[in-house]
Amino acid sequence: MRRANVPLLSLLSVLGALLAGGCGGASHSGRELTLYNGQHEQTTALLVAAFEKQTGVKVNVRSGDEATLGNQILQEGSSSPADVFYTENTPVLEALREHGLLAPVAAATLAAVPSRYDSAQGDWVAVSARVSTLVYNTRQITTAQLPSSILELAGPRWKGKVGFAPSETDFQPLLSAIVKLDGTATAERWLEGMQANGRIYPDNETVVTQVNNGESAVGPINHYYWYRLRDELGAGGVHSALHYYASGDAGDLLDFSGAAVLRSSSNRSAAQAFLAFLVSRKGQEALAHSHSYEYPLRPGVTPARGLVPLSSLHPAALTPAELGDGSAALALEQKLGLL
Amino acid sequence: MSMFVAAEQAPSRWTRAWSGRRRWPLVSIAGASAAAALVLLPLVFLVVQAQQSGWSEVQRLLLRHSVAVLLWNSVRLTLACTVLCAILGVGAAWCVERTALPARRLWAVALVLPLGIPDFVVGFGWVSLEPGLHGYLAAVMIMTLSLYPLVYLPASTALGKVDAGLEETARSLGLGPWQTFRRVTLRQIWPAVLGGCLLVTLGLLAEYGAFEIVQYQTFTVAIFTEFKLGFDTVAACTLSLVLVLLSVMALAGELALGGRSASARVGAGVRRNAARVPLGRWTAVVLFALGALSALALGVPVGSLVYWVLHGGSSTLPSTSILAALAHTAAYSAAAAAIATALAVPVTALAMRHRNRLTLLIERLAYLPMALPGLVIALGLVSFSVRYAFSLYQSSLELIIAYAILFLPLAVVGVRSAMGQSSPRLEEVGRSLGHRPAVVWMRVTLPLIAPGLAAAFALVFISSATELTATLLLRPTGVNTLATQFWTYTTDFSYGAAAPYAGLMVAISAIPAYVLGRRMSTLARAGAQA
Amino acid sequence: MSLLSVKGLWKGYAGQPVLQGLDLEVPAGSLTAVLGLSGCGKTTLLRVIAGFERAERGTVSLAGRTLDDGATFLAPERRRIGYVPQEGALFPHLSVQDNVGFALTRSERRGKQVARLLEMVGIAPLATRMPNELSGGEQQRVALARALAPRPDALLLDEPFSSLDASLRSRVREEVHELLRGQGVTTVLVTHDQEEALSLADTVAVLRDGKIVQQGAPADLYEQPSDERLARFLGAVNLVAADFEDGSARTALGRLPVRGERGAIGRAAGLVMIRPEQLEVRVRSEDTHGAGTSAAGLGGRVEQCRYYGHDALLHIRPEHPGPTDLLLARVHGAQALPVGTEVTVAARGPVTPLE
Repeated sequence: MRRANVPLLSLLSVLGALLAGGCGGASHSGRELTLYNGQHEQTTALLVAAFEKQTGVKVNVRSGDEATLGNQILQEGSSSPADVFYTENTPVLEALREHGLLAPVAAATLAAVPSRYDSAQGDWVAVSARVSTLVYNTRQITTAQLPSSILELAGPRWKGKVGFAPSETDFQPLLSAIVKLDGTATAERWLEGMQANGRIYPDNETVVTQVNNGESAVGPINHYYWYRLRDELGAGGVHSALHYYASGDAGDLLDFSGAAVLRSSSNRSAAQAFLAFLVSRKGQEALAHSHSYEYPLRPGVTPARGLVPLSSLHPAALTPAELGDGSAALALEQKLGLL
Repeated sequence: MSMFVAAEQAPSRWTRAWSGRRRWPLVSIAGASAAAALVLLPLVFLVVQAQQSGWSEVQRLLLRHSVAVLLWNSVRLTLACTVLCAILGVGAAWCVERTALPARRLWAVALVLPLGIPDFVVGFGWVSLEPGLHGYLAAVMIMTLSLYPLVYLPASTALGKVDAGLEETARSLGLGPWQTFRRVTLRQIWPAVLGGCLLVTLGLLAEYGAFEIVQYQTFTVAIFTEFKLGFDTVAACTLSLVLVLLSVMALAGELALGGRSASARVGAGVRRNAARVPLGRWTAVVLFALGALSALALGVPVGSLVYWVLHGGSSTLPSTSILAALAHTAAYSAAAAAIATALAVPVTALAMRHRNRLTLLIERLAYLPMALPGLVIALGLVSFSVRYAFSLYQSSLELIIAYAILFLPLAVVGVRSAMGQSSPRLEEVGRSLGHRPAVVWMRVTLPLIAPGLAAAFALVFISSATELTATLLLRPTGVNTLATQFWTYTTDFSYGAAAPYAGLMVAISAIPAYVLGRRMSTLARAGAQA
Repeated sequence: MSLLSVKGLWKGYAGQPVLQGLDLEVPAGSLTAVLGLSGCGKTTLLRVIAGFERAERGTVSLAGRTLDDGATFLAPERRRIGYVPQEGALFPHLSVQDNVGFALTRSERRGKQVARLLEMVGIAPLATRMPNELSGGEQQRVALARALAPRPDALLLDEPFSSLDASLRSRVREEVHELLRGQGVTTVLVTHDQEEALSLADTVAVLRDGKIVQQGAPADLYEQPSDERLARFLGAVNLVAADFEDGSARTALGRLPVRGERGAIGRAAGLVMIRPEQLEVRVRSEDTHGAGTSAAGLGGRVEQCRYYGHDALLHIRPEHPGPTDLLLARVHGAQALPVGTEVTVAARGPVTPLE
């Protein structure tokens, strides 16, 4: 009769699973907040801990890939259990705004960071920034060889040396910036050149890892991927360095993480309080001292040790709103078969 | 006189048709309807979404050069992998089941185990071993190595049931060993092999993660692009319908190739178990081949995990309880496995015992979720539950149901192989001995199909334990599984911290894989004369 | 008194009628054999009686209780009818004793009943074996013991001995016969083997074209089949032209008495059936050669000799073709004659006129 154990075990495990998950139901008591988190998890964990300590509001964090979470919120619509959506990039927030799913951010919160970084409509607030840079393998490339513009990477000199991740959310802003600054025709030619020159990687982590390994000589990435790889490998394993393009170049771009309150939130005040905390001095300092190596945006908060100060960089004069939801870049990538 | 009788007493064609058909058991109908409803849920979502796009939008999406390239990539990858999986799976099964291979039990488990390694761990392992690995051939290799057990399992079960008498007869009719294998043995295990190939094909159509790592772009990539970069559900669902179309073709193809042809034994007498072929000088060759297969399919990913545990730096991520993640993974997977198996029984029973267009359609439908990306199915559930069952949304139960839908095809294949073990004849005898159908089911049918149920349970359990996409969308807020934690750590470069989670995933999959490896072969032999 | 009664039964598959108004009466306590060619619907009949299939039309009743008449349908488990399918259909996952005890309650299983049943069918030492460890004959006995365990009102046997080899078959057959007789259980046995039916059954019913064409005691059927087809089905026959006179038939083999009430039936001439064992064969000596039809019998020549050990079947070509092309004669095995032997053939009455 030992065969009867299979259904019995199953039954027990169903019950077990139900009990185990029973604590997970979304609750809206006012002293609780549900955060959909597309930002790097440890950054969020740090901020949430500080926020909980300061306000006593419990934050239920639901972490995931920001695009997946964005799609999820689109499906949830007005029934979304989420109160706040915190993302690594802003296009997803723009997409939700276009669907009318975001509530306006409190004016004081928007004012805490330079307003050119925020949503033009005031529906989301920028929280932190990364700089797009070029990672290069120090064994293969000398500093003299480094390009001053990202447009050079499409030239014949870089044939077989570039690695990039066109499907990553960081790549589209670059392409969008080229479209905006140099026109669609140039952008298309550039992309064709990249396609001819480069190796395509699935994500930025792979780009930085493979440049460090020497499979590719250079690769456009946001600065913090390199710092994180350095932390993981230790100084002995690093065979690469970061290069910043000339000021104002389309490749020298700021990417922002952002946060928004959902229009469907039933905890608007707590949600707004969380956003305010993210851009508060305390929140920004927590961010600056985290492992994330992102730049805080609040004036007067200094970034983590070892980072080139934001003030010494002169990124392209483009706002996130100007870069938009990246649909032009997407269309271009699709046209060339990169997606 | 006789003409008069015939005219008066011959029943109409109508009554004959009805009374000739045996009545359908109500429980089976209810179960199969539930299964069909669950499977239809994501399909309805797809269609509802897709029909919002106009014809010009459909043209824009589909009539692109890149889409044609991606479609071709998907098709050629699917064809190559399916054929290779069939060869590897049948070959390995034959070596384990029919030769005097040393340490057969060990091989039976080792050959199944790659199923328990999530695709993203496999890809991750290969890329850390050989960073330059990418493109078509890399994708073919990696997918073949991780999917061949789906053919190996049914093939080994079927081989265990082959009547050696038939092979001996073939030899006596002048066929050589290879001819005998091709024309007799392979014919007998053909439906099982095709069933496995179907799973491989459908799984490949939906695959995304591993291809992302080896930089091979398939049609699924186009779907994910619309989701991730375009936030365009309508476009993504429209493209997904192409996958549905492809899988319908695969399902029809399986039928056409004889996937349902009955391979029942005719004639009376007890089935003869086959004598094992002595390998002699070939022992070393076969051992080397199986060893190489296991080293590639199992050794590489596991090895890279070990490497990262030893060499990875510490993570700055908040430490979470690995035990809690383990408990959640095990509980969800076990519950999903139980539900999927329970649903697969009526679906299969009706299709096999009461075969008609409807029951066959339901059985075919049950395979479709396998060919759809988990994201599509999960979003379908999101869309349904926020509208009609909000209390279910992001509950454990919903996640379990999602797993059950996603992996119902695996359960159906497992149960299908078992259903043949119990014949209607035995159940009739049971009833003539004075027991109600329910009692007969418990005392005769269930014990006989138990090995198949265990196999179905194990297959679904393994797949659920490694599922990521749907888990991220549907898990209760704050709950982590091994897969989600692994994902969290790897997206943060914390390979050292991620590795133990992947290791645990492999470990808890090893238990059912062990059960699968042993049960399928030993019990197939015991249940000889049903 | 009839225990099991089937009246006007219709049953078909996929639009093809199989049973077409079949009537069958099985006397209480008897062993009735339903004899028919393979595929004539014998198994279908048993399946309807057992309740695995529904009758399309007609009634089935057992000891006055209606089992199936279109309005009522009694489930198989409530019919108290035991069933032994052709291949035995033992439950492969249960041991011999668990198979036999399947129909019994838990307490009955613990008692001596199973052991007694196993003893009865002569396989007591095999109690703990699994079915795939048994020979064909042993499997049949287990299946029989299992069907008898709940003391059914009737027992259905579907070609129970067909899968056994010849030597085993006759022995198992005898034992089963004795056993069933001892139990007094009403039994329907279907078979395509006329020898089995004739030797085993109290009553034989012949199934043809979906109907019972004749039912009766084995000897009645064998000696007085209702038509030529049936006559040939039950065994080899000689059909000989005859003129009827005063309750006897005048044939090439001489004047022979006509059997039973079927006598001359008012006809002047027709065919009569003579079974091969009714013919007496003598080797002709030189001096009688060429005598043609003498008082001793019809002259002829052995064309073929089929030797069976206990007997032999001779094909004899008469010297003067006319009365019949070929005569079949069954003789003692010891009397088997070489081909070409000149013989004279005589007949022992009585004979049966056929339509």
